[in-house]
Amino acid sequence: MLEEVGNMMLLTGRTLVSAVRPPYPYGSEFVGQFLFAMRLCWFPLLVSTIAFGYEAPGLQAANFLVLFGALDRLGGFFVLASIREFAPFVDAIVLAGVAGTAITADLGARKIREELDALEVLGVDPIKNLVVPRFLALMLLTGLFDIYALIFGVFGGILATVVNHAPLGPFFATFFNNAETTDLWGSVVKTTLFGAIIAIVCCYKGMTASGGAEGVGRAVNQAVVIAFLGIFAFNYAFTQTLLATHPDITTIIK
Amino acid sequence: MEDLILTPRGWIEAFGEIVRFAARMLREVASLRVMRFFGEALRQAGILIVSSTLVIWGLVFIIGLECGIEGAYFTYGEGTPAYSGVFAAWCDLRELVPLVFGYMMAAKVGTGIVAELGSMRISDEIDALEVMGISGMRFLCATRLLAALMVLPFVYLCSIAAGFFASYLAVVQQIGYVSSGGFFLIFWQFQNPPDLLYSLIKAMAMAIVIVIVGCYYGYNASGGPVGVGTATAKSMVLNLVSVHLIGMLGTQLFWGANPRAPIGG
Repeated sequence: MLEEVGNMMLLTGRTLVSAVRPPYPYGSEFVGQFLFAMRLCWFPLLVSTIAFGYEAPGLQAANFLVLFGALDRLGGFFVLASIREFAPFVDAIVLAGVAGTAITADLGARKIREELDALEVLGVDPIKNLVVPRFLALMLLTGLFDIYALIFGVFGGILATVVNHAPLGPFFATFFNNAETTDLWGSVVKTTLFGAIIAIVCCYKGMTASGGAEGVGRAVNQAVVIAFLGIFAFNYAFTQTLLATHPDITTIIK
Repeated sequence: MEDLILTPRGWIEAFGEIVRFAARMLREVASLRVMRFFGEALRQAGILIVSSTLVIWGLVFIIGLECGIEGAYFTYGEGTPAYSGVFAAWCDLRELVPLVFGYMMAAKVGTGIVAELGSMRISDEIDALEVMGISGMRFLCATRLLAALMVLPFVYLCSIAAGFFASYLAVVQQIGYVSSGGFFLIFWQFQNPPDLLYSLIKAMAMAIVIVIVGCYYGYNASGGPVGVGTATAKSMVLNLVSVHLIGMLGTQLFWGANPRAPIGG
């Protein structure tokens, strides 16, 4: 267990070093992986964020606020709920579950077909040519998809407002009154780092797949479990730090 | 994977097949034919307890902490730190614990089943079972579903406890804007046994769908070891989408028209 964590750290270090050190042969692979992951993820992410936004912060908070006749405050709640917490987290879960598993399955298949060994024999560095492009693509994509998740998460909140037969103006008014740039950059930085975690865990598990028929399936299983745990643990640490060091974003301006 | 996502036709076809598969599996369990292999179901239940419970509770614990800190800071910002119990109670019990339970079930148990059954399929072990006169569907899939039905309600109730404990730690011990007594007063006022039952129904619906999807992709895996890996990845897509949809429908059904809060008219 500890050994695996250590190996992942080593892989992170080697990926970072070989990403910045010339030559840079990974351009086309980077574009390919970026488009591949985007094609896989856009639809599950769309459904998931709308469902989540409508369900958890939308319906439940609207129910609570309607009791006080203060449904207009739902917009302010969505800043906290969607931007700071749930959009990043659904984004990361979907990226890990959809793109991450696909990467592990792909690399695991190459590993057990001994294609990775063949690459090394040819003098092609698998880290530079396979891991680095996936690492950069997932980081960029998770960060960008955060904005996408955020928009559709807020769309879930709009649905909840409409279902309660309330006008949308107050929703947007409290939303933009409470929205801080700190929240937004915190959210994007957080998801970019989630992307790095997902990429490293999934590449590591794919490249160390072994054991015949069950090997690749096992690798995917372990990769997604470790990625989820890593995402959640990191999310807790990040949110805690952000909230404790930026008391201004927890103040509600009405 | 591409055909599953990109073409609506492939999507609908796959959905129909999964529904047919699910109906066969549920029939095996409901007609009690699976009881012939009750020993195997008990073994699967044991595997589920030993290998998956801790990691599920761990993830729920972390989300409990997160509900706690968000709730504490949010209610402090509103000027009502005494009410952080409301946020913790609703966030944990109604929404996040069922969802996170679903995520971890999909990741640990769902993909585990695909990997296991898929490797049995491609090494022709399932065919060997059928040749010996044992129904693979009954012996492999129905026993896993029965095991899940036996074990998971208890696993889920314990994970709610883990989430509650974590929220208490975060709100009272760590942030400390509210006293322990004040927190629990509000916390228990804003939930009651029907809420717990609804939350359990939501989580069990997710768990059943996840086990069925896992069995479907594993049982129908093809294309060698690589195919097993791809099937495992595919099952995750469907599981994540269905977890979110079940969560949304459950909330709409159970709490959509009635907030079930001890305030207001």
